[in-house]
Amino acid sequence: MKIGPVKEVFKNLFKKPMTVMFPEEVVEIPERNRGRHHLDIDNCISCGSCAKICPNRAIRMIEAPPDFKEKYPKTYPQVDLGKCCFCALCEDVCPKDALTLTTNVFLATFEKEDTYVNPIEV
Amino acid sequence: MTSVKKKYDASDFEMFFGPAHPGSGNFSVKVEMRGERVLKATADPGYLHRGFEKLMEYREPMQNSVLSDRVCVLEPLQWNLVHAEAVDDLMDYDVPERAKYIRVILAELSRIQSHFIWYAVLSLGTGFMTGFNVAMGYRDYILDVFNLITGGRVYPAGYICPGGVRKDLPENAEKKILAVLDKIEYMRKFASTENLAWLSRFKEVGILTKEEAIKYGATGPILRGSGFVTDVRREDPYEIYDLLEFDIPVHDEGDAYSRFRVGMEEIEESMKIITQALDRLPEGEVRTPTLKPIVQFRKANGETYIRNELSRGEGAFYMVATGEKTPYRVKIRGPSFSHMIPILERLLTGVNYADVPAIYWSLYQCPADVDR
Ligand code: SF4
Ligand code: SF4
Repeated sequence: MKIGPVKEVFKNLFKKPMTVMFPEEVVEIPERNRGRHHLDIDNCISCGSCAKICPNRAIRMIEAPPDFKEKYPKTYPQVDLGKCCFCALCEDVCPKDALTLTTNVFLATFEKEDTYVNPIEV
Repeated sequence: MTSVKKKYDASDFEMFFGPAHPGSGNFSVKVEMRGERVLKATADPGYLHRGFEKLMEYREPMQNSVLSDRVCVLEPLQWNLVHAEAVDDLMDYDVPERAKYIRVILAELSRIQSHFIWYAVLSLGTGFMTGFNVAMGYRDYILDVFNLITGGRVYPAGYICPGGVRKDLPENAEKKILAVLDKIEYMRKFASTENLAWLSRFKEVGILTKEEAIKYGATGPILRGSGFVTDVRREDPYEIYDLLEFDIPVHDEGDAYSRFRVGMEEIEESMKIITQALDRLPEGEVRTPTLKPIVQFRKANGETYIRNELSRGEGAFYMVATGEKTPYRVKIRGPSFSHMIPILERLLTGVNYADVPAIYWSLYQCPADVDR
């Protein structure tokens, strides 16, 4: 019998596993990771470029909720994550860097409403 | 009555291998068998058709770049590259030197991870689960590098885009790539061992002669596995491949084992290419029209055909521009199309049913690029 495989087995017995125990331990997510969107509404100039470049038409320009209408009178992007393919073209095209993709990858949800990233979360 | 009985003998079967079979990918083959022997095989593509060629006529080049990831799930960066080159050609973009190097490094990393998948699915198809787990595990290290550089593990979202690449390499990327190359080396040694499972399942199985390979339009590792020395990177060099030194692995036997060996030896060549490119990586810009991701496609006029050496063979983009915002016509040539239809049908005829997965996966198919 060849000794090679046996050696390999013993080596692997003492190695750290490739996987991590998820909730306690997490893998590091790089800064560039394209996750959930974040809109910095004060920087947004309502130019609509993000809605225009989106390949999946996941962005709709909507008005702010009634309570905030005075402060934010124009229309702002609302992202439907259900349609989004996380390409980050909207982030690249934004002239004011108002719309960015964060490293938040925990997007699973039971509520359909949670798949929308609204300009103002109420 | 007798004729029907004769036609449908009790030992005659008709079976579908795929499209929802765990060992088939999203592609199906109808096999007609007598006992254990395959009498006839008919490929049945179309399960994964997404209409990319038509979709691309309605989208702008940058949006198409994102779409081009999806042409083949297993090698998105390489498809990004072909698409980007086609648009570059139509737009007469001068791609910056640094971007060319980054493109090549990522395309070769993509080739390596794709070959790991090949190893994994071949293992899966022949019941060698250890091989599957090890290969998929080591592939993950490469995916981590992709995540660091492009922001996505599997889908780079048009990272290689018209005019260069979307972002420069992050600071620690070079170190990370070198560290991953060490890991790949371990996996390569693991894969190159003369495993008894491989020898008994793949040797002298599914022999494709050189003449047949050319007749049916084989390209890439399948053609090289039949003893034909060819590689687009050498014959029609794109990006910086004419400046790099690498060999073209070839095996003459034409059986599943020789195709598999070509693939595994290519990993070594890709590692050589990455090391050379990292050594010479110049400084500078990474994208011609800087700033925003918009390609002024209205300026383009004419047609182009760009071919690249992907990990599965020759992939190409034919694109026509008529001064509109979007391309007038896009045609994608996927390498697996000719491998999976004429060649697979030919190789499966007359074999034992147990050899079907071995032959099927030795052709290294990607159902996504057959159907597009
Ligand atoms: S990431 Fe891409 S798909 Fe998602 S909203 Fe932005 S542009 Fe649209
Ligand atoms: S998020 Fe940026 S691109 Fe979108 S409307 Fe606001 S400023 Fe324009």
